[in-house]
Amino acid sequence: MKIAVGQGSCGIAAGAMKAYEVLSSNLDFSDNQLTVTGCIGMCYLEPIVDVYADDGLHRFVKVNGEIAEKIANAVNENNLISVKEYEISDDDKQFLDKQTRIALRHCGIINPEIIEDYTDGDGYKALEKVLTTMSAEDVIEEIKVSGLAGRGGAGFPTWFKWNAARQSQGEKKYLICNADEGDPGAFMDRAVIEGDPHNLIEGMLIGAYAIGAGEAIVYVRAEYPLAIRRLQNAIEQAKAKGFIGQNIMGTSFSCDFRIKAGAGAFVCGEETALIESLEGSRGMPRLKPPFPAQSGYWRKPSNINNVETFANVSWIILNGGSAFSSMGTENSKGTKVFALTGKIKRGGLVEIPMGKTLRDVIFDIGGGIKNNKNFKAVQMGGPSGGCIPKELLDTVIDYKALSQTGAIMGSGGMVVMDDSTCMVEMARFFLDFTAKESCGKCVHCRLGTKRMLEILTRITEGNGKEEDIELLEELCLAIKDGALCGLGQTAPNPVLTTLKYFKNEYVEHITEKKCEAHECTNLLRYEINADACKGCTLCAKKCPVGAINGTVKNPHSIDMEKCIKCGNCINVCKFNAVEVK
Amino acid sequence: MSITLTIDGKKIIAQEGMSILNAASENGIKIPNLCYDGRVELYGACGLCTVEVEGNPKLLRACSTKAADGMVVHTQTERVKSSRKVALELLLSDHTGDCVAPCSKACPAGTDCQGYVGLIANGEYTEAVKLIKDKLPLPASIGRICPHPCEKACRRQYVDEPISIAFLKSFVSDTDLSENTYIPETEPDTNKKVAVIGGGPAGLTAAYFLRKNGHSVTVFEQMEKMGGMLRYGIPEYRLPKAVLDKEIKLIEDMGVTLKNNVNIGKDISFEQIQKDFDATLVAIGAWNSSKMRVPGEDLDGVWGGIDLLREVALGNKVNLGKNVAVCGGGNTAMDACRTAVRLGAENVYVIYRRTKDEMPADPQEILESEEEGVVYKYLTNPIEFTGENGKLNGVILQKMELGEPDESGRRRPVAIEGETEEIALDSVIMAIGQYPNLSGFEALEATRKNTISADESRFTTSLQGVFAVGDATNKGADIAIAAIGEAQKVSVVIDRYLNGETVGYKKPYFVERESKDIDYSKFSKLPRAKMPHMTPTDRKNNFKEVNFGFSEEQAKKEAMRCLECGCHDYFECKLISYANDYDVNPSRFDGEKHNRNQENANDLIARNTDKCILCGLCVRVCEEVMGKSAIGLINRGFNTLVEPELSKPLKETDCIACGQCVALCPTGALREKTAFSKNVPVKEKSQMSICTNCSNLCDIDYRYIGSTVTRALPVNNGILCKGGRFGVLNDKAQNQIDDLSALVNTDFAIVVGGRVSAEALFVLKKFSEENNASIYTVANETDANYYAISKLGIKEYNTLPQNIKSVLLVNAQIETNANKYVAALSPYCENGTFFDKYGNKKTQKAIFTKETFAEVINKKLKNSYDDITCEAEKEINAVSTGKVTNEEIIKSSSLF
Repeated sequence: MKIAVGQGSCGIAAGAMKAYEVLSSNLDFSDNQLTVTGCIGMCYLEPIVDVYADDGLHRFVKVNGEIAEKIANAVNENNLISVKEYEISDDDKQFLDKQTRIALRHCGIINPEIIEDYTDGDGYKALEKVLTTMSAEDVIEEIKVSGLAGRGGAGFPTWFKWNAARQSQGEKKYLICNADEGDPGAFMDRAVIEGDPHNLIEGMLIGAYAIGAGEAIVYVRAEYPLAIRRLQNAIEQAKAKGFIGQNIMGTSFSCDFRIKAGAGAFVCGEETALIESLEGSRGMPRLKPPFPAQSGYWRKPSNINNVETFANVSWIILNGGSAFSSMGTENSKGTKVFALTGKIKRGGLVEIPMGKTLRDVIFDIGGGIKNNKNFKAVQMGGPSGGCIPKELLDTVIDYKALSQTGAIMGSGGMVVMDDSTCMVEMARFFLDFTAKESCGKCVHCRLGTKRMLEILTRITEGNGKEEDIELLEELCLAIKDGALCGLGQTAPNPVLTTLKYFKNEYVEHITEKKCEAHECTNLLRYEINADACKGCTLCAKKCPVGAINGTVKNPHSIDMEKCIKCGNCINVCKFNAVEVK
Repeated sequence: MSITLTIDGKKIIAQEGMSILNAASENGIKIPNLCYDGRVELYGACGLCTVEVEGNPKLLRACSTKAADGMVVHTQTERVKSSRKVALELLLSDHTGDCVAPCSKACPAGTDCQGYVGLIANGEYTEAVKLIKDKLPLPASIGRICPHPCEKACRRQYVDEPISIAFLKSFVSDTDLSENTYIPETEPDTNKKVAVIGGGPAGLTAAYFLRKNGHSVTVFEQMEKMGGMLRYGIPEYRLPKAVLDKEIKLIEDMGVTLKNNVNIGKDISFEQIQKDFDATLVAIGAWNSSKMRVPGEDLDGVWGGIDLLREVALGNKVNLGKNVAVCGGGNTAMDACRTAVRLGAENVYVIYRRTKDEMPADPQEILESEEEGVVYKYLTNPIEFTGENGKLNGVILQKMELGEPDESGRRRPVAIEGETEEIALDSVIMAIGQYPNLSGFEALEATRKNTISADESRFTTSLQGVFAVGDATNKGADIAIAAIGEAQKVSVVIDRYLNGETVGYKKPYFVERESKDIDYSKFSKLPRAKMPHMTPTDRKNNFKEVNFGFSEEQAKKEAMRCLECGCHDYFECKLISYANDYDVNPSRFDGEKHNRNQENANDLIARNTDKCILCGLCVRVCEEVMGKSAIGLINRGFNTLVEPELSKPLKETDCIACGQCVALCPTGALREKTAFSKNVPVKEKSQMSICTNCSNLCDIDYRYIGSTVTRALPVNNGILCKGGRFGVLNDKAQNQIDDLSALVNTDFAIVVGGRVSAEALFVLKKFSEENNASIYTVANETDANYYAISKLGIKEYNTLPQNIKSVLLVNAQIETNANKYVAALSPYCENGTFFDKYGNKKTQKAIFTKETFAEVINKKLKNSYDDITCEAEKEINAVSTGKVTNEEIIKSSSLF
C-alpha cells in the first residue's frame, strides 16, 4: 500500500513529522511504501495520512503519534477497518467533494519532491505540446480563449500582458513569478509551491516561451523556507531532465530559471516594487507608465504573473482554453483558489469555479461558523480588500460582482468573521498592517494611512470624535485618488467597506462609547449582577489587580478604575453574575 | 512631432512624449510639485501635480502622464485642489519646526526680529535697518520704548534670558541715523491722494507705506508737531524727541505732506477731507484720560496721566508739589511717576490695587523708578480724594487682598473691610487708561466703548473710503507697535482699494512648534547684554535719556546669542508657499509628529530630518546625477528617513560635497552653511558670475546680503564642485573689506597667481591702475585661470622695477609651484609687506576687494566680462554636449 503523509507547512505545524516518524518506524515496508505529499487543503484536519488501499483511498485525519501507530499496525495487518474511526467523516468529505481543482489538482496527491510523480501523470506534457506544436502566438491565443485573468488580485487578462511583453521590442526579456504572498490569512501560493512546484515551473516556462523570455525568476518571500527548498529542488530536477536550460526538449527554446528570496516587505508584492527589489534596490514602487511589459526588470520588457495564474497554464494547454472558459461567469472564467480562515468550521484551501456564491464557499464547503455563532461578514482580499456583510452572502464569485460590493476578488484571502468581531477594530487591524508596510514613498500612503490608523485607534479606545467619520471618509477618498501604487490605493478599502456596511458600529463607538462585539477593551464595563452574585469571593480572589470588592455571602462589585478587563472574573464565576457591557 | 492639447481651456502646442507637467510649465501654467526635477527619474511621491484629464476617471500625476494630441486637461478643479490640499496637510502634519521665529510672530507689526538680530550679529547694519523698515518706519523710537512682546516670546529665556531685541533695534537704527541714512525708494507716482488723520505712530506708519507705494499722502495733525503719543505721551528721558524728529524727517523726505495744527471739525471738516482725497485713514489715537469715578476726582491737583505727560512735553511749567501719587500699574503710570520725580516731587507713590507680580508695567521700569525713590503702595485702592477749598490735600486708600483669579487670569483684588490708610498729597495722577475723543468724527459709527468701529481685517468703517486703525478703534488703546502693525496692514488694504480691489489682511499660515518640545540643553549660557545707563542720582533731576545705548561690540555679542528659531529656508521653501496657496488646515490631521531633534551637520551642510518631506530629490540627484550614494532611504512607512550611508556622518560617506542635494531640497531639511558668522534667514540678492576655481569656468550664482557673499549656487541645473559651491565659506577673508592704505602709500607692485578668481583679478587690475602700480602674473598657461589673466592683459612677471618698495602677492602659490619666484621676491617678504591669499603669517591681510565680488561685478564689471562669459559658455556647452563629463569637472577641481 502507498501511504502518504501531508507535509505542507500546515501539516508540519500540526505534527505531520511526528506522524511520519511513527509510521516510518512501525510500517512493514516489505509491502508498503511511505511517501510525502503537499497540502490537500483541509488544514483544519491536519496532520492527514492517506492510505491507498486496494479498495481505494482511506484518509485519516488529525493523526497524532498514537493514531499513526494504530494506522501503521492496521496497514501492516491489512485491517484498515480497525482504524475506521480515525478516517475523515462524510461531513468533512464535503469540503473536497464540492471543489473543482485545476491549480491545486496535484496538491496533496503527488510527492512534490520527486519529479517522476509529476511526469508520471501529465507533467511537462503541456510544455512539450507547446514547444513542439505551438507558436508563441498560438499559446497566447489559447490563453486568450481560456479567459484566464491575473490571480494576484487585479484580475488583468493574462493573454494581454503576455502579448504586450511579446510585442515589446528588446532582445532580452524576463518572465517573473510573483510569489510574495503577503496578505494576512492568505496561503494559496505557498500551498502550490510546496505541493506542486513543477506545475509552477511548467506554467512559467510556457509563459517564457510565449513572451520570448530567456530567463524566468520566482520572487518568493524568505518566510516560505519549505516552499523555497522544494522549488529549488524541483528546479534542479527539471534542469537534470532538460526542462530548464539550453535547447529545452531539443528545441531552440532556452530558458534559465532561478529563485529570488525577498525580505518579506508587503509592498514587494506590487510588481514595480518587486522589480526594484529584484534589482537589489529598496522595495519601492515605480511610477506607471511605463509598465513592466515595456520597461521592467533592468528596464527590459518583463512579464509578472502570480503563482496561481501560472498554475492554471499547463492545464489550459492540455485541456484547451475553452475547457477552462466553460467554467465561470461571463466576466470571470475558470476556477479560483481561496484561503478560507477565521471563524469558520472548516478552514483551508478551496478551489471552486467562478460563479459560485460566497454562501456556497462559507457554508457548503466551509461548513458555516465555528461554535454555531452567527456569520457577520467576510473580508475578501486581505488588507487591500473589503468586507462583505451577511446580506450580500449570495454575491457570486466574479471579479465585477465582488468589486461592486466594495471588496475585491483579491489574491484569495477569505477571512470569516462572526458577531464577536468588532468591525472598527478589524479595520484598525488592517490599517495597522498597511501603515507599517507602506514603503514610505508617497505622501498619501505614508502619512494618510498613519493618520487613518490614529483615528481608528482613538475610536476603538473610546476617544473618537464626532467629526472622525467624515475625516476618515475624506482621507479614504484622498488616499485612493492620490496614492502611488496599489498598496496605498487599496489601503482604505477595509475602512470604506466597514463604513458602508457597519457605520452604526463606528457611531456607537464614538457617541455611546460602546463596542457591541466586546472586542474593544477600553470600551468595556464589567459589572456584577447583585441578584445573581452569591458572594462566593472567587472572583475577588482571582482578580489580578484587586478591583473586586465585597464580603462573603454578599454581592460583590467591580471598581472600574482599577479593572484591567482581563476577563478572569467572568471565567471563574459559577453563577454568570459577571456581565460585560 | 508636435501635438495640440488643451490645458485649463488654453490651447497648447507641445512635443510628443512630453509630460503634462512640462507642457503646462512651458506655457506658463504652473502645476505645483515637490518631488520633480528634470534631471532625475520620475518619482511620483508628492502627489501634488495631480490633474484631471477628460475621459479618465482617475486623478493623474502630471509629471508622469504624457501629453497626448487632443487631450483636455484641467489643473484647477475642485477635486484636484482638494487632493493637493490633503497632500499638503498630510505633509505638514508631520513637519516639525518653526517657519518664522516666535519673536517675529509675537510682534504685532510682524517685524523680522530674527532677521535683523542676525544681520546685526554679522555687522550688516544697513541691511538690518532695511529689513526693519520693511515693517516699521520708526525703529529708533520704537526700539527705545516698545514693551517688546518679541522678547517675551524669545526662546532664549528658556536657556538664560531673552535676547535684547528692542535695544538692538534702536542700536542699529541709531547707527543708521548717524550717517548714510537709509530711505526706501518710492514707487512711481500713482496720482492717488490719501489723507491720514493723526500724526502718531499709526498715521506716520501708514503715510510711510502708502507713500512707498507711490501715493500722494497728507498727514493732518492737531498738535504743533508730529509724533502723537510718542511725542506727547512718552517722556524725553525714555525717548529723546531729537531721535523722533529725525525719523519723522525721513518720512517727510520721502514726499509725505505733514500738516500740523489742524483740528478736524474746526479747521477743516471731516466731510471735506473725504471729498478732497481718494481715501482717508483715521488714526487719531486715544487722548483722554480715563476716570476712576471716585469722590474728589474733580479736585484741583488731580491730573490725567497723559495730560500731565503732554503738558511736560509741550514745555509748559508744571508744579506738582512735594507729595505726589500715581494711580495705576501700567507703563503710563511709570512714565508719570518718574516724570514727577524729575519735576522735583519729594515723595512719589504708586498706588496699585494688586501686587508687583500682577503689574503690567515693564519690570525694568519698576526697578528704575524704585531706584529713583518711588514708593509703591501695593494692594491699595483710592476710595476718596480729599481736599480743601477745591484743592486736593490727600487720598484715602482702601487696603486690598488678592482673591480668586478673574477672567484675565490675574487674581482679583478684594477690599479688606474696614482697613484704610490716608496719605497727604499735593497732586495725584490718574494713569488708569485712556480713550479717544471722537468729536469731529460723529459721522463714523462708534462701538459701545465709544471707539471707532472698524473691520478687524479690512479696517473699513461705516463710511465708504474711510479706514481707521490704532488706539481710536475697537478695543481702544494698546501699545504703539500694535497701532503700527495695523497701520502697516491697512496700507496694503488702502493700496488695493485705490486699485479698485477689496482684500482684507489674512494671517499667513506658519508651521510652528511648542517651545517646550525643544531641547535647550545644547545651548550654553551667555548672559544678556546690560544696557548701560545713568545712575539714579545722575538722572532723577533731569530729562536726559537714561540709556546710553549699546556699543557695537555689545550689540554684536548680544545678537550672536540668538537661537535661530525660525527656519533658514523660509524664503525658498516650496512647502510653505504651497501651504498658503492652498489655505491648509493641517491641525485636523494632528497626530504623532517626528521630533528627532537631531542637528546633523558638518562643516558645509546642515540636515534636519524633522523638516524632510521625503521627496527623495536629494537621494536621487546624488545617485542619478552625481553617481554617488552618499545618502539613501531607511525604515518604512511613517518612520522612513533619509540617512547618510550606513548612518555614518556625511563626511565619511562618498559625499563629494557638490551640494546638489541641498540645491534641490524643497524645504529646510537640507541647507548649506553660509559665510555668515551667524546664520540668518533673510532674502538674499543674486549675482550671476563665473566660478574661477578652475578652467571650467562654471556659471555660478553668488548670493549676497549687503557686503557679504553668503552662498554660491549652481545655475540652470548645473553642477559646482566643492570649491565653487562652498569656497565662499573658506574664503571668508576674501569677502570682507580690508584696508590697503598702508600699501598705497608706498611704491608697490602686484603679483598674481594662476588661481585668482576673475573678479578678484579685475579688482586688482583696477586697483593697480588707480594707484599707478604695475601688475604681473606668475601664472603659466597650464594654470586654471590663465585665460582670464591674459584677457585682462596682465603681464608675465619678469623683474620688478627698481623703485618698488613692496609687493602685493595674491595667491601666487609661492609655497608650491612657483619656487623660482620665491627667491626673487623674498626681500620684499622680509620687509613685512608680503601678502598672500589667506593673510596668515603676514603682517596684514591681503584682501582683494573694497566691495564684495557681487557688488563689484554689479557696478563695474558688467561690460568687461562679456568676452569671458562667451568663452565660459563654450566650456559649459562642452559639458552639455558630453565632451566633458560632470565627473571630470569634479575631478579637475584641485580642491579635491
